[in-house]
Amino acid sequence: MTQKGRGWFIAAFMAPATLIYGLLVVYPLLQSFAFSLFRWRGVSRKRTFLGLGNFTRLAGDDAFMKALHNNLVLLVVGGVATIALSVALAHGLQGNGRVARTLRGIILFPQIISLVVVAVLWMFLFNPDFGLLTSGMNAIGLGGWVHNWIGHQTTALGSVGVAFVWYAVGFYTMLFAAGIRALPAEVQEAAELDGAAGLRRFWNVTWPMLWSVKRVAIVHFTIAVMNVFALVFLMTRGGPDRATETLLTYLYESAFTHSEFGYATAIAVVNFIVVMALAGGIMFWFRRNPEGARA
Amino acid sequence: MTKLSLLGILALGLVLAGCSGSSEKPTSDVEVMAFKGGYDIDFYQKAATEYVANHPGVKVTVDGDPRVWDKIRPRLVAGSPPSLMLPGWGFDQWAAAEEGQLTLLDTALATPAYGGKGTWGDTFEPKLLKLGQLDGKQYVLPFYFNVWGMWYDPGLFAKHGWTAPKTYDDLLALSAKIKAAGIAPITFQGKYPYYMLEGMLLPWVQDIGGMKALNDAQNLEPGAWKSPTMLKAVGMIVELRDKGYFETGAPGLSHTESQTDFLNGKAAMIPCGTWLDTEMKKTMPAGAQLQYMVTPAPAGSGDPTAVPIDIEPWMIPTDGKNHDGAIDFFKYMTSLDKAKQFVIEKSTLTAIKGSEKVNLPHSLEAPLAAFNGSKTQWSYELRYWYAVMETEIENALTQLVNGGTAAQFCDRCEAAADKIRKDNSVKKHKVSG
Repeated sequence: MTQKGRGWFIAAFMAPATLIYGLLVVYPLLQSFAFSLFRWRGVSRKRTFLGLGNFTRLAGDDAFMKALHNNLVLLVVGGVATIALSVALAHGLQGNGRVARTLRGIILFPQIISLVVVAVLWMFLFNPDFGLLTSGMNAIGLGGWVHNWIGHQTTALGSVGVAFVWYAVGFYTMLFAAGIRALPAEVQEAAELDGAAGLRRFWNVTWPMLWSVKRVAIVHFTIAVMNVFALVFLMTRGGPDRATETLLTYLYESAFTHSEFGYATAIAVVNFIVVMALAGGIMFWFRRNPEGARA
Repeated sequence: MTKLSLLGILALGLVLAGCSGSSEKPTSDVEVMAFKGGYDIDFYQKAATEYVANHPGVKVTVDGDPRVWDKIRPRLVAGSPPSLMLPGWGFDQWAAAEEGQLTLLDTALATPAYGGKGTWGDTFEPKLLKLGQLDGKQYVLPFYFNVWGMWYDPGLFAKHGWTAPKTYDDLLALSAKIKAAGIAPITFQGKYPYYMLEGMLLPWVQDIGGMKALNDAQNLEPGAWKSPTMLKAVGMIVELRDKGYFETGAPGLSHTESQTDFLNGKAAMIPCGTWLDTEMKKTMPAGAQLQYMVTPAPAGSGDPTAVPIDIEPWMIPTDGKNHDGAIDFFKYMTSLDKAKQFVIEKSTLTAIKGSEKVNLPHSLEAPLAAFNGSKTQWSYELRYWYAVMETEIENALTQLVNGGTAAQFCDRCEAAADKIRKDNSVKKHKVSG
């Protein structure tokens, strides 16, 4: 086959996928970018062009800022908690003892049940009347600390965050467990011979070598948190008083409660840009493989 | 291009025009889409079957969904909506009316009623009909309507020797007794604060300051949301909160959760509308009963007999097919006999005059007596006019029940009203009469 012929051959194979991707992904995405420039109430084709009006309004919208802030809090606090727990659990999974085997059996459990069930489960747990958390605290004499966990502004975001971490941790545990398992045994042995043990070995040997897994985990977690919707919506609907509002619950409210579809699309565009920027930033941060430098 | 090919293109154009013309032929089909909530859609489906039996050649299809508004919206945008619709509480009817998507119904209301005397419009309760008007024009029509107030279980009250409170002072005195008996005096649908707003706070605004205070608030008169009347009414919520008369955790409860707590005897009273009985029928514990009362009123210059009401409106989309058929079918559904049947089957009141003259379900007796005995009926329309402001009011109410001050609530609402006042893109409305 000639060079030109090969080019056509490749193009012919790529064309269907490119066409479908363009039609179903790129085109709707560009269309939504266009919607964000209009005032559109979503009940007719009538649209008023606002230019960047929706975006300037977003900049002065306290509810939007609160939602963005909540997303970032969940990302940083939830992220640290999830990664720390996942790495610890992943270590626990390495052995072949009964504990490791049991952990392996149940760790992915929250991932395989529906998010709706997760939300209902945690709503029951947090119920200040009959919730497990309440009765547990009463039992150990901490009854005075019992609180209206998801119904009060001060604790709602933390409560939703706990539920989210609980849901997410299994997936990242498996990711890190696979990463740890893939580490070359000779490096660990060498470290052991050099007298590095316990936390010291973890910090100086294991943790730096998990570079690529960390990168995948953090990017994935960032996307998951910035797009969190179902769990928050089911547990609190973004309330009380916007305490758990996230970008997507606010987007939903703007579109379907306030009939402001153009404005909602502007939120989607900002969310897209924020996710891309964060993911790009993380990829840049992790651009250099420390193992590569050693080699 | 030759003349022949031009002729060919012209002929092809004519054929295509003919094809599209034939698809626009008047149809006798009526497509109905209705909100499938507590009252289901079986009544409308049965009505369709009966109607079709009496109108050979006509086809009526009835489809429903608990989120039917999500299905209706794209069809409105695409220009192919159903012939007749009850789009439910998630639909912005005034946005649709303002954008020309709803058929004006004034002419239809002036035509004869279904098999009865007088015009179709005469068969509706005028006050309820008015709630479907925008700038004096009829865009939506009521069928069933709700009366708001508070509810209690007469069995529980009798067991403890309590009597239903009539005034706010009665409510305070009774709540102290209920609390002492180890029961939460009041629960509420915290995740949906409009229940407390329409069932307690706004009735109190009317009781204290009369319809003027309430209308001023809805008409966004400057200062109305932080008037002494508003501040006093909000202060009553604060008083109930500070005395511990609200169920613990209620701010985090959904409507079904709080209503279940109420039916299970965990709380003695709850604000709600007349759909409560039907909504909770399936989960009602054996022996539980429901009794309506007008929200216990504080002293003031308002009308203590006043009742809050609202309608769940039907409408005919402009682009829908077969307007005449849709109107005729809806006329049949709102005929006195059908409306009476609806009252009995669905335990709700309808907007059709005389439809209440049936063997009423027990839970409707008190609301009907309150409605008939009221000198004033009012509706909270701001919720549908200014959705963004309504969200802020509801959030401010959540802050209030969770420890905020009355002044904070009023300031937030006034600021939200100010934003709407200054926003030229939002169409302004006025409460009529």
